[in-house]
Amino acid sequence: MVPTEQAMSKATNTPAFMSGLEPLTRRSLLRGLAVSGMAVTTGCSRLFGRKDAPEVLEFTSLSESEARTVTKLTAVLLPTEKYDMPSALSVVPTVKNVDVMVGQMPKQTRDLLGLALWVFESRPMVSFKFSSFSKLDDEKARDYVLAMQDGAFFERGITSTLKTLITVNYWRDSRTWPGLEYTGPVTEKWGVRRLGNAPLPLV
Amino acid sequence: MRIVTVPRDGVPVTDARSVVADPALGKNFAVQADVVVVGSGAGGSVVAYEMAKAGRKVLILEAGRYQPSANFTEHLGDTMTQIYRDQAAQFNTTADVLFVEGKCVGGSTVIGGCVMHQLSDKVLQGWSDKYGLKGFAPEKIKPTYDLVGKWLNVHVNEAHEINATAHKVIQGCERMGYAWKPVQRNVKRCALTGHCLAGCPSDRKMSALVSHLPWAAAHGARLFSDTQVTRALIKNGRVTGVEAVVRDPDTGNIVSNMRVDAGVVVFAGGTVQTPLLLQRSQIPDKSGQLGRNMTVQPFVQVMGKFKEPLYGFRGALVGVQVDEFLESDGIILASGLAEPEQLMVQGEQGAGDEHMEYMKSYKNMAGLNAFSLDEGHGSVEWKGGLLDGDKEIKWNPNRNEFAKIARSVSLASRIFFSAGAEKVWMPTFQKLAANNVFELDEQLAKVDYGINGMYTFRINTFHSHGTARMGADAYESVVNPNGEVHGVTGLYVADASLIPEPIGYAPQWTVQVMAKYVSDRIQEKSSSYFVS
Repeated sequence: MVPTEQAMSKATNTPAFMSGLEPLTRRSLLRGLAVSGMAVTTGCSRLFGRKDAPEVLEFTSLSESEARTVTKLTAVLLPTEKYDMPSALSVVPTVKNVDVMVGQMPKQTRDLLGLALWVFESRPMVSFKFSSFSKLDDEKARDYVLAMQDGAFFERGITSTLKTLITVNYWRDSRTWPGLEYTGPVTEKWGVRRLGNAPLPLV
Repeated sequence: MRIVTVPRDGVPVTDARSVVADPALGKNFAVQADVVVVGSGAGGSVVAYEMAKAGRKVLILEAGRYQPSANFTEHLGDTMTQIYRDQAAQFNTTADVLFVEGKCVGGSTVIGGCVMHQLSDKVLQGWSDKYGLKGFAPEKIKPTYDLVGKWLNVHVNEAHEINATAHKVIQGCERMGYAWKPVQRNVKRCALTGHCLAGCPSDRKMSALVSHLPWAAAHGARLFSDTQVTRALIKNGRVTGVEAVVRDPDTGNIVSNMRVDAGVVVFAGGTVQTPLLLQRSQIPDKSGQLGRNMTVQPFVQVMGKFKEPLYGFRGALVGVQVDEFLESDGIILASGLAEPEQLMVQGEQGAGDEHMEYMKSYKNMAGLNAFSLDEGHGSVEWKGGLLDGDKEIKWNPNRNEFAKIARSVSLASRIFFSAGAEKVWMPTFQKLAANNVFELDEQLAKVDYGINGMYTFRINTFHSHGTARMGADAYESVVNPNGEVHGVTGLYVADASLIPEPIGYAPQWTVQVMAKYVSDRIQEKSSSYFVS
């Protein structure tokens, strides 16, 4: 029987599964995840965001399995070609950006992100016939992401963090902006003159 | 007569690189000053200017880096990396409330949306009556508001400063019968780029970077960036200076240890940093209120999608506000839509096709920012050693605050539907949207308070205040009505942490007024602090 969202939700509340996560849910896990997510998302595409995705992906900070998870999630979140947008995998180096950011994280945050990715990757084992996330077909992977997003608060936290991490790294790349009809920086384009410092107030 | 010349552009700054390159400074060095100001944002810059203008030898220490406005790229992502605190990832302990703050020369004035509010006479009179802040009675403090407003070109938005997003808010309000008005902003000849949150490259935003800091420098103040103050030095109940470390802004490595000897120390690091500084300095905290009473003014952004393209990200970022619910419900709404990447932290945008379609409708979107007044029960605490410790920020909405946020979302959504929105997205961690006003309540009812309201609404805070509150009673407040820390002579505070109770307004103007007020009090007592 194919597990349904309801079944998964039920599984979410299974004490045996939750017991392993309980100590992490309230503070350290979520905090680390969200902080690392935001830090990473804002931190690294300055370095890589406007370069092309490398032909051969080599990751220095993400482990092989983490890279698989991030790559799969990127593909699920951003079906860009269908919308005539630059590919999130082969044009904008979204996954590589994540890799670089992970390299800049403090150890504690890095460890927590690793745990989050592991939880996100392994969580479908409970309800998707012992399949990990990156092995799900695209439709099931999407269902899984949506179910996690509507899940318990810690599941929402993990999913939001990972989604934010990936989507910000894609949309901040200026090559994605024409597709949104977003103009980006304009001051130089418009020839706006700099005013310099304000004069001293009259005494 | 002294000739004072303001630099045409930029501010003279000694950064970590200059410290390393200067053989006179070395790994450990000491500096003497009359007044050391910690923080260069709204409060610190005003104090530095006022003190320098009065002839004092002023040193400003800023933990963040110096980013001249000429280097601003109008790319929000780059800006967050460089000049937002914790790369725009400063969270509460449960990591679901984002505390947005500038960490750079000029502080949050550099990255703010330029909204300037005066406190009402009723609020100011309340401060005078309840907390013994007689100097803040309306008739006494209003002239200072006027003065600061004049300095910073505060004006009511003119017609050309009302963009398409704001026009949708106006339409909705007109149909609902809600009062709206143009926002007051501190901008000079706004270029209408819409990139306020990434810093203003043409110097039109009257941030500290182009006003009080160069003015202070013109009067001789010296500014160190990349310099993190670890604590104030206090001896026999009197401040004697500060200890600081100069860090490489890229690696975080310490390049020098610094000591400043000064008769007056003014902490102006903001609501989060100032109580941490005071805690690390181990000030006598008779009241037990240090780091407590933090108001966060939770802010959520409701997004409306309209049939026609609006390009609502163009033009002045904030156009109009709806403040008729401030007195009755503690809610104030303001129009605004920023860069695409900002949308990722404002709500839940689905996955796959749904996400792509959401983003593709960016040009059809308008944003309405809903600020609600909370009860001021947040706290900030320093945990661990001076250099290797970390902050802990606690705030989650209680049930009343949660209900108020939900009400603010409901009001904002109704305004958009009245203006003709086809869809409104809720600012929640769950994926929630309403296709018409009749679905709205049903959708909002799905947001369950759960455990401490965690991971319900996607809350940001730009306007936190109140962690070192001002008052006459030393058993109820941290700082006296002159801005001086109770029990420590010469140690002052001049930022939003002084605000004694929750306020529903944008605090920048008030902070600058309070900083001017504190500067005047320091001057009045100058014979106690300065030899000449």
